[in-house]
Amino acid sequence: MVDNGGQWTHREWRVLRYLGVETKIIPNTTSFKALNVNGLVLSGGAPRIEKEALKLGKTAEYLDKANFPILGICVGCQFMVIHFGGKAGPAETPEYGKTKIFVDEENGLFKSLPKSFFVWESHNDEVKRLTEDFEILAHSKNCAVQAFKYLKKPFYGVQFHPEVEHTEYGYDIFKNFLKVCEEYMK
Amino acid sequence: MFDPEKFVEEKTRELKNKIEDKSIIACSGGVDSTVAAVLTAKAIGNRLIAVYVDTGFMRKNESEEVKKILEDLNVNFKLVNESQEFYEALKGIIEPEEKRKIIGEKFIRVFERIAKEEKAKYLVQGTIAPDWIESGGGLRDTIKSHHNVGALPKRMNIELIEPLRDLYKDEVREVARFLGIRVAERQPFPGPALAIRVIGEITSESVEIAREANAIAEEEIERAVEEGKMERPWQYFAVLLSSKSVGVHGDVRAYGYTIAIRAVQSIDGMTAAYSKIPHEVLEKISIRITNELKDKVNRIVYDITNKPPGTIEWE
Repeated sequence: MVDNGGQWTHREWRVLRYLGVETKIIPNTTSFKALNVNGLVLSGGAPRIEKEALKLGKTAEYLDKANFPILGICVGCQFMVIHFGGKAGPAETPEYGKTKIFVDEENGLFKSLPKSFFVWESHNDEVKRLTEDFEILAHSKNCAVQAFKYLKKPFYGVQFHPEVEHTEYGYDIFKNFLKVCEEYMK
Repeated sequence: MFDPEKFVEEKTRELKNKIEDKSIIACSGGVDSTVAAVLTAKAIGNRLIAVYVDTGFMRKNESEEVKKILEDLNVNFKLVNESQEFYEALKGIIEPEEKRKIIGEKFIRVFERIAKEEKAKYLVQGTIAPDWIESGGGLRDTIKSHHNVGALPKRMNIELIEPLRDLYKDEVREVARFLGIRVAERQPFPGPALAIRVIGEITSESVEIAREANAIAEEEIERAVEEGKMERPWQYFAVLLSSKSVGVHGDVRAYGYTIAIRAVQSIDGMTAAYSKIPHEVLEKISIRITNELKDKVNRIVYDITNKPPGTIEWE
């Protein structure tokens, strides 16, 4: 669990623990070499993606060097998009709290989940443009990219927060990500 | 999943190793601090003294109830009334962060004094995860400075111990049930108490309005829950707003304060949905508050904001 200063970083850690994962919260300044993991979750956080991306520490290094699965949440997913050539910035209509998302592609993350359900959001910025190396997995009325897969590596991103209790199927999304991690371990 | 038995075992062992002599614990009678008190007493027995501070901002009859709770726990305890000092320190303060910081410092100074009297080196607190998360620090933004974390003074002559730091309210309740603590299901109540349920200046009059309105809101919601009219909200209370509005009382113009009723469903306090309370219950609360508080309050609103974007408390 890479901590980017989110209100819900510790919640993500709790969900992973409840799912039986051996997990630890680490500062985002931890060097890649010091990681000994089968998967990484990049938390959300207060940094604004356009002006404060440096506050995400060594995230770029993780994205370049990792071959294991990574799930970027909120600012973690926005950073991933920018790092691989896309664009993120202030949302035209920020989303706070309850929002309905529509699943476009299951692609591992949304496996066996309904096509549409309620999730909880808390974001001022959003993904603006993806390159062809990304596939959009979900959207909402006011946000075109609610979830994506980076096609060159087992990396996923979600704009909403699967870790909070009020998000429907949040635990299932984490379980699906853990399946991706298990696949990688084989 | 969370295993309360294992948690109690581990924490009791840790506390036993850590506290070599005496310790005090800040105990409000709420779930978190009561669980922390019982855990610590399990570890160090009568070397623990629980301290309850009456700030003057407590709910109706709360201090008497907390006394009974502490008596039942079978721990050493001490009740101190500091209300005059708290009211004086908050005179003229309206900014919520400033209120919280003054309250946090006041608490610590009281605990330092008592620790000195009792020759205790440690202060145990029932701090839980949302307290330090929302207090911020480093990369994490400060949402609000919790009295027991972000509002603590920089210099302190006492060492803090926080055995519940990694738990959320639902997990603390599991521990409370496991330990057979009767306050396990008590609704959350903030440390700064009614001082942050009065928007604007704290005076004995404004706190009294908030206290009466809270008592009515709690009573009516609890009654409706008992009668099966609604689900028990995670938290439910009244907030005194600083805005006034025009009313009419017996053919005479009235100009009184507004009370906001807040009730939410949550598991851990980190997200919350406003409770869909039946209108007849809201109406009963509205009628009772506006009638019983006479010329003080003539308007009631119901808060329909989720968290996020709102927080549960207003300040």
